[in-house]
Amino acid sequence: MAVRTVVVGGGAAGIGAAGAFKGANPGGEVVVYTEFEDAAYSPCGIPYVHGREIIDFQSLFLATKEQYANQGIDIHYETTVTGLDFANRRISVAGEGDVAYDRLIVATGFNYADPGVPGGDLEGLYYVKNIRQAMEWDKTLDNTKVAVIIEATPLGMEMIEAMIHRGIEVHVVDTRPWAMSDLADPDIVEPVQKTWTEAGVHMHYGVKLEGFVGEGKIRAVKTSEGEIPCDLAVICTKKVPNNELGARAGLKTGPTGGIIVNKRMETNIAGVYAAGDVTEIPLGVTNVGVQGLTGSHAYSQGKVAGINAGGGHREYQPVYIPWGMVAGKWMIGGVNFGETAATALGIPFVMGVAQGISRARYFPGMKPIKVKLLAEPKSLRLIGAQMVGGEGIKERADFLAMAVKTGITLEDLAYMENVYSPPIGALNEPIALAAQNGLSKVKR
Amino acid sequence: MAGLSAFPRWLRVNAEKYLLVTAQQRVAKANDLAAPLPALDVKGKFFTKVFAPIYRALPWSLRSKVLQLMPGSHRQQWSPRERKPNGPAV
Repeated sequence: MAVRTVVVGGGAAGIGAAGAFKGANPGGEVVVYTEFEDAAYSPCGIPYVHGREIIDFQSLFLATKEQYANQGIDIHYETTVTGLDFANRRISVAGEGDVAYDRLIVATGFNYADPGVPGGDLEGLYYVKNIRQAMEWDKTLDNTKVAVIIEATPLGMEMIEAMIHRGIEVHVVDTRPWAMSDLADPDIVEPVQKTWTEAGVHMHYGVKLEGFVGEGKIRAVKTSEGEIPCDLAVICTKKVPNNELGARAGLKTGPTGGIIVNKRMETNIAGVYAAGDVTEIPLGVTNVGVQGLTGSHAYSQGKVAGINAGGGHREYQPVYIPWGMVAGKWMIGGVNFGETAATALGIPFVMGVAQGISRARYFPGMKPIKVKLLAEPKSLRLIGAQMVGGEGIKERADFLAMAVKTGITLEDLAYMENVYSPPIGALNEPIALAAQNGLSKVKR
Repeated sequence: MAGLSAFPRWLRVNAEKYLLVTAQQRVAKANDLAAPLPALDVKGKFFTKVFAPIYRALPWSLRSKVLQLMPGSHRQQWSPRERKPNGPAV
């Protein structure tokens, strides 16, 4: 008898799980439930369509509905799962009744944290998530003169850029002292903020959001420094796990609110897996759970869950979180944490910083790159990194994540080999320079 | 029971938030930047004025042990891959 797997959620984790299940168990049956009109598009690309860097929303879809059907993935769109019954291996589906399963994969994703201020029900508050709604919001942007970004999170940064590209006056409101200050250090973000200043962005840091003001539709954002008249507010608050369905049914959640899973993405209930933003995963460096990772993490976790649900064997591993993005005229990125987050956690570290270049100094288009490396003081094992530069940040972040994962030290990096080719690499690799500077601070 | 299971979440959310606030204050000061808003409510004052200084005063080894005792995915079975190059690969 064919194994029947039900996936709740049609995002990166859910669709990754469904496809991997079919790969591991071609004779099995997989059904995906999503409350949205579409499945498996890239919400991460939405800000770039708004900014006109991507020509249309259709480009963001990974596959058509027909392609999923042809692969044997039965997706039920605009369908809400209202309950999970683990004892009887059934789920309750609005409009369908009870549906049986052999394996269940919970991939219900995230919600944006509620700003928790008056006026949250006004029109004109944009939560960037659903692509159909984004298509409608994109038309609204044509007539938007002033937009306020609520919190300078990574999404907030991307939406600031999109608004700049659309010629919209942008304000950003955040209680914190600089953009992305939970993740990035001020010296990393400073060049970005300089380009925003040049672009006319109004940055309101250290300012508290007090409410949204308007009569039916937003007219202004109320802050601790007064009202900012606007046509639109984009809510870019922290991602919190959408765990209500699973937790109500008895799935255990951790301190982050994410569903507790093991390396096979198994939950505390036999036959039930979870993947993506609804879970929490241990951070490799500290072995402390983290939640709200990237789409690539969600997709990988979904594949692990799907393969294991299909009878195969795949293990997920603790994460080291390489990250990067384009912001202003710069690229920023890193691995794990920087100086600020390490300080918050109270992790001892030695730091090496260097300013290098991306190509040979004489080659046209050469860009600066600043690298900060954090290492454990005794072993000098790399534990984190941050970078800002004109190019080459993503590749370095990926490399440094592997370096952290495999226990590479500042000594290894200080004397690393590097590509020297004038159009793509300088004589001195900025990572090596930063490591050498870090070593110079340590008496060995 | 719900209260007991909710405590680690409450502690994590607030500790993360206010430890970051105090770290941002320190890093902002070192970089001559405006500091984040001070915590004005009772909870914020407790975490920034009492919890954060005590947390910082403890050695990382002790803090890490306490963190490991919290419930969560990190207490499940995971297999970090240790790789030690040992001579030529081929």
